[in-house]
Amino acid sequence: MIFRPRYFFGETFSGLRRNFLMFFTAITTVAITLFIVGFFLIIVYDVQAILSSVKSQVEVAVYLKDNATDELKSYLEQEIKSWDEVSEVIYVSKEQALEKFKQDNEGSDILKEIQGNPLPASFEIRLQSPEKVEQIALRFLTKDGTYIDGVDEVIYGQNYVQRLFSITAIAGSIAFLIIIMLLLAAIVLIYNTIRLSIHARRKEIEVMKLVGATNWFVRIPFLFEGFFEGFLGSVISVILLFIMSNYLLIRGEQAIIDTLKVKELAILGNTNVIMYIYAGIILIGGLLGLISSGFALKKYISV
Amino acid sequence: MNMIEFRNVSKVYEDKTVALKNINIGIKKGEFVFLVGPSGSGKSTIIKLLIREIPVSGGAIFVAGRNICNLKNSRVPQLRRNIGSVFQDFKLLPNKTVFDNVAFALEVIGKPAYVIKLQVPQVLKLVGLEHKLKSFPHQLSAGEQQRVSIARAFVNRPPILLADEPTGNLDPVNTEGIMKLLSRINLIGTTVAMATHDKNIVNSMRRRVIELEEGEVIRDQKRGVYGS
Ligand SMILES: Nc1ncnc2c1ncn2[C@@H]1O[C@H](COP(=O)(O)OP(=O)(O)OP(=O)(O)O)[C@@H](O)[C@H]1O
Ligand SMILES: [Mg+2]
Repeated sequence: MIFRPRYFFGETFSGLRRNFLMFFTAITTVAITLFIVGFFLIIVYDVQAILSSVKSQVEVAVYLKDNATDELKSYLEQEIKSWDEVSEVIYVSKEQALEKFKQDNEGSDILKEIQGNPLPASFEIRLQSPEKVEQIALRFLTKDGTYIDGVDEVIYGQNYVQRLFSITAIAGSIAFLIIIMLLLAAIVLIYNTIRLSIHARRKEIEVMKLVGATNWFVRIPFLFEGFFEGFLGSVISVILLFIMSNYLLIRGEQAIIDTLKVKELAILGNTNVIMYIYAGIILIGGLLGLISSGFALKKYISV
Repeated sequence: MNMIEFRNVSKVYEDKTVALKNINIGIKKGEFVFLVGPSGSGKSTIIKLLIREIPVSGGAIFVAGRNICNLKNSRVPQLRRNIGSVFQDFKLLPNKTVFDNVAFALEVIGKPAYVIKLQVPQVLKLVGLEHKLKSFPHQLSAGEQQRVSIARAFVNRPPILLADEPTGNLDPVNTEGIMKLLSRINLIGTTVAMATHDKNIVNSMRRRVIELEEGEVIRDQKRGVYGS
């Protein structure tokens, strides 16, 4: 077959002009369905990022008895540092603890009531693997349930941490399922719309076949058109998502940062991931348009 | 040699309707043939078989000496480029002008632009529509629309022209015009086969008549009339 770009582009675009309503419907369908998929994807990613930044801030605080000797303290510090799950151990002395307490409560009446230094020294343990927090805490207990020598109390947000982890896991799989379902719905909708727009031009196909056009000659303008519709629709959905995440999500995230007092959310620092999502949506849009056209055409050009 | 030849051709549709039984027909190059017979006798089926719109159930069909039944799908377009076809409902594209409707037939078989510029006005002159190039189908009379569809079928100068009740939607005056046109096309050497119900045409033209009934040839007569 001779490749004749002028004919193919001409047919594609005059097709678009003549069937503007179908064209408009197809693009809108692609834009809206992929927008919903993308929006959900970004939200889910965002929530995951928030959860993991909360997780990474899980700490174990080991409060020491006032009578613990320096030898015991440095022994404990060495011991804790040798554990694989631990990323960092910070020793906070009684004086530092008091200093911090004064800073946190500056101007408050409570400071006047403090006599001497009632605050304990402590180890703040940062974890490599936050899921292990419970095992770590248990190592400070003896067999009969009391704390080991020199330790007064171990605090790690007991119940709440464990629950957070199981909720994250469940929410993750539910979100995955929902995204798959949304994507399937998007595929079905886009396929049907493109099928309709081809059906609207079945007469043209009939004439082409009648006068002896080859199947590829019939197909190519429709494939162009399908690709173009998918591509344009997904670009529109990406533009909407971009506006959305810039003006709404970032504000929402700021609010979350302010209330949870977490330092940063992965998604704000990591626009790369969003870029991948955008690129993926455009790729999916173009491919869906192309493949839908290909499949929908089958019915009309069997011999 | 026959331009068109049916050898023991039968056609049974998917729903078991028997449309043609053991048909044997030979049509020579340059002949003009009427296919007549009551509704449902199999006239359209013969035309559809010839352009490979549907497959045969038995026997073989030869076009220009070639068995078209075992033609590969990829060769079917080539067959159709050699057979112009015209239908009762014109099959024009409503959003293209007269010129574009005819040009479309050349474009989609990959003819270069200069050929299109040359041949389209020529064939539109042949059918007497050189002054309506820019009209759209809805701006034309039924007779004129059928002329456009004949122009489209003939623009590539196929050796065979098939017409399935081309005058079915036309009044007697337009019918006469179309018949004159088909005669002229036949005179240039084109083999023409036309299915029709119209007694008057067949009787006045005095051409070969092949009569079908319930899928069988019951009469094949040189210079025949409609009913025997
Ligand atoms: N696609 C089809 N599927 C099943 N049966 C069909 C199909 N097309 C035609 N037939 C049957 O085949 C027989 C011949 O039909 P055909 O269209 O060839 O008749 P015809 O001579 O052209 O009739 P008419 O003069 O009404 O156009 C009829 O009985 C018809 O019902
Ligand atoms: Mg018929």
